[in-house]
Amino acid sequence: MSISKKIILLGHFGVGKSSLIRRFVEDTFTDNYKVTIGVHILKKEVNISKEETVSLIIWDLEGNDDITNTRASYMLGTSGIIYVFDLSRPATYKQLESDINYIKTNYPNTPVKVVGNKKDLVTKDFLKENNDNFKPFVDFFTSAKANTKVNDLFSTLAKELIH
Amino acid sequence: MLSEYKTVHQKAIYQYLIIDSDGVIIESDDTFFANIHSQNIITLHPFFYSIANLLDTKKDQELLFSCIHLDTDNKSIIADITLKTFTKANPLLIIQDLTQHYNNYQLTAQRRNESVITSQILELKNKYLIEKEEFKNTFIANFSHEIREPLSGISTFVDILNKTNLNAEQTDYLNIIKTSSDHLKHMIEDILDISKIEVGKLNLIEESFNTSEFLEDIIFTYKVKAEEKGLSFNSSIEDKLPNFIIGDPYRLKQILGNLLDNAIKYTNKGNITLNISLNQIRANKANIHFEIIDTGIGIEEENFENIFTSFTQINQNHKIKGTGLGLAIVKNLVELMHGNIAVDSDFNKGTSISFNLSFKLDESSKNKKVKKVQNVHVEENENKKHNVLLIEHSEITQLSVLKILAAQKKYFLDIVSNPEDVIPILKNQKVDIILMDINLPNKTGDVLAQEIRQLPEKELKKIPILALTGKLFPEDLKRYKKAKINDVIRKPFNEKSLLRTIHKYLK
Repeated sequence: MSISKKIILLGHFGVGKSSLIRRFVEDTFTDNYKVTIGVHILKKEVNISKEETVSLIIWDLEGNDDITNTRASYMLGTSGIIYVFDLSRPATYKQLESDINYIKTNYPNTPVKVVGNKKDLVTKDFLKENNDNFKPFVDFFTSAKANTKVNDLFSTLAKELIH
Repeated sequence: MLSEYKTVHQKAIYQYLIIDSDGVIIESDDTFFANIHSQNIITLHPFFYSIANLLDTKKDQELLFSCIHLDTDNKSIIADITLKTFTKANPLLIIQDLTQHYNNYQLTAQRRNESVITSQILELKNKYLIEKEEFKNTFIANFSHEIREPLSGISTFVDILNKTNLNAEQTDYLNIIKTSSDHLKHMIEDILDISKIEVGKLNLIEESFNTSEFLEDIIFTYKVKAEEKGLSFNSSIEDKLPNFIIGDPYRLKQILGNLLDNAIKYTNKGNITLNISLNQIRANKANIHFEIIDTGIGIEEENFENIFTSFTQINQNHKIKGTGLGLAIVKNLVELMHGNIAVDSDFNKGTSISFNLSFKLDESSKNKKVKKVQNVHVEENENKKHNVLLIEHSEITQLSVLKILAAQKKYFLDIVSNPEDVIPILKNQKVDIILMDINLPNKTGDVLAQEIRQLPEKELKKIPILALTGKLFPEDLKRYKKAKINDVIRKPFNEKSLLRTIHKYLK
């Protein structure tokens, strides 16, 4: 039996948390936006190596403008956190630094991956121009739609959780 | 009876499960998950993995997990799940089905979030469009400015060449060059004006001007233009108009000029009429009605709005020159002066364009009139020769100024290209007036002017410094004023505009 690890996805609404999970778990994508309320929980086995497998229990949380309003019970037993923002909407990353600080202060021993999603909607020039804002915090620039770096994101976090 | 109703209508919304500390189900009803006795809780749904390590607490505590989507092969519910642990008993799980309640909430959240996202995207698009528009206008302004420099050279040398001995053929060619360069100059001025208006950088000036002199000048100019095309020009100016009003005479002239030019341009036979009347005088302001009527080709009603749009020329088939900016400038200027413009037209019969503008009355008009007359009669001493220092890096402009001044035979001209050479010259020789380019290499003209004003020599604090530049945005004019530059000669300049400003300072 493989090891099970709970990870949660946090971030504003509409940033693509559910789409990233759907791309990772089912390898599908839809442009139809359906608001997540509460939490959806999905499971996916990830092969870390030939011998090691980790079972990711992925909690897809309802989007929230204010990270401090996240229900405390959802966070219980969390082994890893993915914080997602939408590269095409500045409102979703204007609090990036304070949100990351909040997570690291309240969950100091929990690995965190910061993700700028919807990379397909922005240009390379945009990423270059905003490099100073993003570089200190962002681990992955992903696109659930174009399937960019989605598997990398989850497998990198999975490896960190068991090593 | 009541219990019968309850049996029929009461829907079970709870499932209770007693489990041991390893997660094995000891006792349960079958409301949602049926026949699950002895199974491990984690086999029911991935949610239960996450509570597996919370079961063995041996403490009396209660944890609520609200709005959990429990999707199984058979059923999907949205539930609140309560986990109760006890010191002396096995843990209890209570699953409460709140699907209907949460589905209603989902619809509300969907509407709210979609609306927020849409407004954020619209705001971004709007910001992007504004930035793009600003970039376009700044680009146009800068580009137009760069064009003025060589155009100034063309304009000046056409004037100079015209005074030399030319045969008839050469004169014809020169007239073509002059017409083309004048046309290009007007187009650049129009483009520059519209870009200034669109970035909100066009400021109106306020000065008192003589109404009848102003209108007579316009009527004379356009009467000649109309008659050159075989059109008659009628004008009617109401006697009751105040003698002096305060406003921007240059922009008012531009409005009337553009409308009259347009009327003449689109009229092939008949007449052009200019009517000006007083609507009312109230609160020390005169509201004046302006109307320009032509018997030209007219405008179809569906195009009434479009004629005031930038770069729009309704009569595409007519071989008539223009940027399509004239009427857009008129509309913007009228609105900047808090007026409204109206158009009425019969296709193929003619057009009438009218607008009302308010002007402050000039209370001290008599004094101003005297002063104006005095200024007009000031003439410089014909016999005296003046020393002019030109600081200019463009060879075209150097040559233009040289030719214009040399023809007057009353000026000694020194030309300096490098701003570093200016102060030594000023310290060692007599200079009566300085003409200075603003875009100098290594140092701007306004910085150099400030340095000159700070020199200890008294006469250099008063020496007239005239800027030669096309940079005339309000912030530029403020810089020149701060640097104690006396006046600006706008590029492209011609013989008349250069000499007029020099004469003003060499009394």
